[in-house]
Amino acid sequence: MGFLAPWFLAGAVAIGLPFWIHLLRQYRSTPHPFSSLMFFERRTQSSIKHRRLRYLLLLSLRVALLLLIALAFANPFIDRTGVAAGGRKMLVIAVDNSFSMRYDDHLARAKQAAMNAVSQLNPGERGQVLAVGSRVHFLTQPVEETDQLKAAIQGIQPSDEQSSYGELARALRTIEQTSRIPLEVHFASDMQKSSMPPAFADLRLGSDTNLIFHSVADPKEPNWMVESVTAPAKIYDPKKVRVQAVVAGSNTPATKRTVSLALDGKVLDSKSVDVPANGRASVEFVSLDSPHGFHQGEIRIEPGDSLHQDDRFDFAIERTDPHPVLFLHPAGQNLDELYYRSALESVSEAGFTLDPLAVEQAGNQSLSKYAFVVLSDVGSMPPGLENSLRAYVAGGGSLLIALGPLSAALNRVPVSNEAIQGSAYASRGDSRFETVAAADAEHPALRRANKLDGVKFYQVIKVDPGQSHVVARLTNQAPLLLEKQVGEGRVIVFTSTFDNVGNDLPLHASFVPFVEETARYLGGQQDRSTNVAVDSYIELRSAKERGAAIDVTEPDGTHPLSLKDATTAQTYQVTREGFYEIHRANGRQEMVAVHADRRESDLTLIPQETLDLWKNTGRGPDTPAGDGSNSGNQARPWSLWRYALLLVLITAIIESVFASRYLSVEKEVA
Amino acid sequence: MQPRTPTRFIDPALLAGISHLDLVAKTVVDGFVAGLHRSPDFGFSQEFAEYRSYTPGDDLRHVDWNVFARTERMYLKRYRGETNSQLTLMLDTSASMGYSSHGTTKLDYGRFLAVSLAYLSNLQRDAAGVIIFDDEVRNYVQPSTRQGQFMRVAHAIEKASLGTRTNFAKPFVHFQQFLRRRGIVVVISDFYEQPEIVIKTVEPLRYRGNDLILFHVLDPQEIRPKLKEPSLLVDMETEDAIEVSPEYAREEYGAKIDAHIAALKTKANAAGIDYQLLPTDRPLDDALREYFLIRKGRM
Repeated sequence: MGFLAPWFLAGAVAIGLPFWIHLLRQYRSTPHPFSSLMFFERRTQSSIKHRRLRYLLLLSLRVALLLLIALAFANPFIDRTGVAAGGRKMLVIAVDNSFSMRYDDHLARAKQAAMNAVSQLNPGERGQVLAVGSRVHFLTQPVEETDQLKAAIQGIQPSDEQSSYGELARALRTIEQTSRIPLEVHFASDMQKSSMPPAFADLRLGSDTNLIFHSVADPKEPNWMVESVTAPAKIYDPKKVRVQAVVAGSNTPATKRTVSLALDGKVLDSKSVDVPANGRASVEFVSLDSPHGFHQGEIRIEPGDSLHQDDRFDFAIERTDPHPVLFLHPAGQNLDELYYRSALESVSEAGFTLDPLAVEQAGNQSLSKYAFVVLSDVGSMPPGLENSLRAYVAGGGSLLIALGPLSAALNRVPVSNEAIQGSAYASRGDSRFETVAAADAEHPALRRANKLDGVKFYQVIKVDPGQSHVVARLTNQAPLLLEKQVGEGRVIVFTSTFDNVGNDLPLHASFVPFVEETARYLGGQQDRSTNVAVDSYIELRSAKERGAAIDVTEPDGTHPLSLKDATTAQTYQVTREGFYEIHRANGRQEMVAVHADRRESDLTLIPQETLDLWKNTGRGPDTPAGDGSNSGNQARPWSLWRYALLLVLITAIIESVFASRYLSVEKEVA
Repeated sequence: MQPRTPTRFIDPALLAGISHLDLVAKTVVDGFVAGLHRSPDFGFSQEFAEYRSYTPGDDLRHVDWNVFARTERMYLKRYRGETNSQLTLMLDTSASMGYSSHGTTKLDYGRFLAVSLAYLSNLQRDAAGVIIFDDEVRNYVQPSTRQGQFMRVAHAIEKASLGTRTNFAKPFVHFQQFLRRRGIVVVISDFYEQPEIVIKTVEPLRYRGNDLILFHVLDPQEIRPKLKEPSLLVDMETEDAIEVSPEYAREEYGAKIDAHIAALKTKANAAGIDYQLLPTDRPLDDALREYFLIRKGRM
C-alpha cells in the first residue's frame, strides 16, 4: 500500500471546514425580539451541544467526504500479483505467418509451439488465436474450447506479408483493454530483427500482459535472395533494354550463384556471379527479345536454399511501339524541330517518335493518333486546323505551344485563347536578358528541370494568363510557362521558342528533362511502377475519375473487387506475390508484378536483450525480467484512485440525503 | 326580524387593515349581535313584573289607577328595574404588547377588543370609559353616557402607543381613584407577571362591587413558539437576550406557558374574576361573548 502522489494528503486539513461549520457557526444567531423572557432560562444556551450531537452523523459524512477526496488525489495503490487478482487469465496464441516463416519448417515449428501453449489452457479460461503478418488477423474469438483453438492454429497458412511486431503490440494492448483480465501471450515467430518497428515505444505492452516468446529460428541461418531487379516497364526497342539484378546473402558464406533471366517461363540468358559473404553482387542482362504485349519476367538464382521463394524475383514488362508526336512548325524553320527531336530521342525509354510537319500542310491532318501535338512558333494557321486542334484537346488530347516571333502577330494564343499582349526582346548583352524568377517545382514539366535555373531568355511573348495556371514566371513577371485545362485535355504554353535564338534553353542540361517530362505529362505516360512489394497500394484512379469500372485480376485469376469497389475504389492493396492485371477505366491494360518485401529475407534475429526489454515494457524498469512462467506472480502497483472516487460519490450522495432530511425537518417545524 | 347569519367575526388580521377603530367596532359588533339574533334596539324602557297590594307607606305614584277604578282596590304596579352599567376598559400598552408574529400585534388586538366593547356598551346606553396604562396611567377617559362618548373612547384607544414596563403592579395602585361607581372592569393585557401578583394586583378592583374580566391577549407564537434554528431572543421590555434552541422552545417553554395560563385562570376564578385567554389569531367573539355573560348578569 502506498501513494503515488502523497502530497495531496495535505488536503486532509480541509476537514476543519465542516467542524467550523458545525461548531463555530452555531454561535451566530440572528436576534429576534420576543415579548418576555420570563419563561426562558439561561441554560438553554447549551443548545449548541445538543445540536452538535444531533448532526454528528452529518459531520462525520462531511469529514469522510473530504478525506476521500484527498485520498483520491493522493492516488493510493496496492501491490497486486496476477494470481492475487483472481488467478484468471486469458491465453493469446500469436503465430507469425509472414513471408520469412516459409523458411524451411519454421511455420510448422511455430504451429507446434502454439499447440503446446494451447494445452496449458486451464478450465474456465479463454484463449484466442492470432496470425501476425503486416496486420494482425484474429482467427478466433476468445473461447474456452481448445479444439477450436487448435483447429485455428492448424489452419494457419504462410503469407507473403512482412511481419510487424508493432501491430502485434497494438493488438495486444487492445485485447487487454477490452478483456480487462491479465493476458498470457505466447508468440511463436522467427524473431526477425527487420520486423521491429522504427520506434521501440510502439512495442509497449499493457501492464497485465505477460509475453512469452517461442523462437523457431536458429541463429545464423543462411539465405540468398534476389534483392532487387531494375527493368523498364515498357520496351520500345528490345535491343536497348537493360535488366539489372542484385543478388544478396544474409548470414551466408562467399559462394557462386547462377542468375537466370526468364520471360514467360522461358530462360533467355544465364550468368554466373560470385556473391561475397554476407554481401551482394549485381548482374546485368542486355537485350530482352520479346514480342509485343505484356510479359512476365523473372530473375532467379540457382541453386536454391531453404527459403526458395525469395530466390526468384518477378517483374512485369510490356513491349509496345513508340507513340507519335506531331510537331507543327512554320515552313522553312527547322531549328526548333532539330533541338526538340534531339532532346526527345536522347531519352532511350521515352517512347515517343517525332512527326514534323509544316503547319501550312496540316490543314487536313488527322490528330487522333498522336500522343500530343506541338505548335512551335506558329503564326497564321490554315483554315480548320485550329478547330481540329480545339476538338482534339477537348476530347482528351494535349497540346504544347511554343510562342515565337510569328506568334507575336496573333491576338490570342491558339486553342487556349489567352490574350497576347506583345513581345519583349532583349539583346544578348550581359545584363539584358530575363531569367526564371518563380517556378512551381512540383509541376511535372519542371520536376527534373531544376526550375530552368540559369537559362537566359532574350525573346518572350507576353501573354495575359487569364484563367491559365502560371507554372513559371520571368524576372519581369511575364509568364513563361502556362497550363490550362480545355475540355478533357490540357494545353501548355511556353512563351518562348525551342531554338537557341529566343533563349539558350536548348544548350542547358535542363532542356532534355524538360522535354522528356513534358512529353510524358502530355502523353499520359507518367511513371507507374509495375514492380511493387507485397502490402503496397496500387493506385486505381484519381479522385476525379469516378463511375467507370476498373478490374483487378489477382495472380490466381480471381477478381477481388466487387461491382461497387470497381467503380469507387481509388487504391488496391496487394497481399501476395505474383502478377496482377489491371484494366483501367480508359481501356488501357497494365500488368503489375508483386514480390515479397525483401526485408523478410533478412533472418537476423532480435537480440535477447531487446526481447527482454519488450517483455517488460508494461511493467516498468524495476521489475526483473522473468522467464515468463512466473512473471504473472510479480507484484505490480494497482491504483485505487477510481475506487476512492467512487466512495467520494457515494458519500456525497448520502451526505446530500442526510443534509436535505435535516433541512426538511426544520422546514416542517417552521 | 333580521335573518340569522352564520358569519363569524372578521379575522383580526383583516380588521388591522381598517384604519378607523370606530369602523372596526361597528363591523365587529354588528356582526356579533346579528349572530346572537338580538335586536340592538331594545332601548332604555321599563318592563312589567307583578302587581302587589297597597300597604300604607307605599308611594302613591306606583298605584295602578285603572285597576282601582274597576275594582276599587289599590294595587301597586311593579316594574323590573333596568339599570345602566358602567364599563371601564383598561388597556395595557406595555412594550411586550407590541409583539406580533403574523401582522396583528397584541396591542392592535387589544385595541380592536376595547373599541368593540366600547361600541357595544354605547349601543346598550352604558357608560364606557378607558384607561390606557403601562408603567403609568397614560390616558383616561371617564365613563359617561354623554353624546360623543364613544368617539372619545375610540380616539383615546387609537392614540394608545407602546410604552415600557418592568413592573405590572405599579400602575394599579392609582386605579382605585378612577373607579367610583360599580360596574364592569375589563383588563386587557398579556399579563407577563406571576399569576399571584396579577391576581393580587387586580383584586382590589372588585371591592366596590365591580365585575372584573381579565382578557389575556397572547400571540400564537408566545403560546407555541416555532423556531427553525437556535435563535437569540431579545426581551422587548428589558432587552435581555437569551439564545434558545427550537427543542427548548417547543417542549420546556410550552409547558411553562401552559402552566402560567392555567395558574392565572385558576387563581382568577378563585378570586371571582372572569378570565379569558385570547390568542391574537382568533376572532373576537369569545371576548364579546364573555362580556355579554357578565353584562347579562347585571341586568
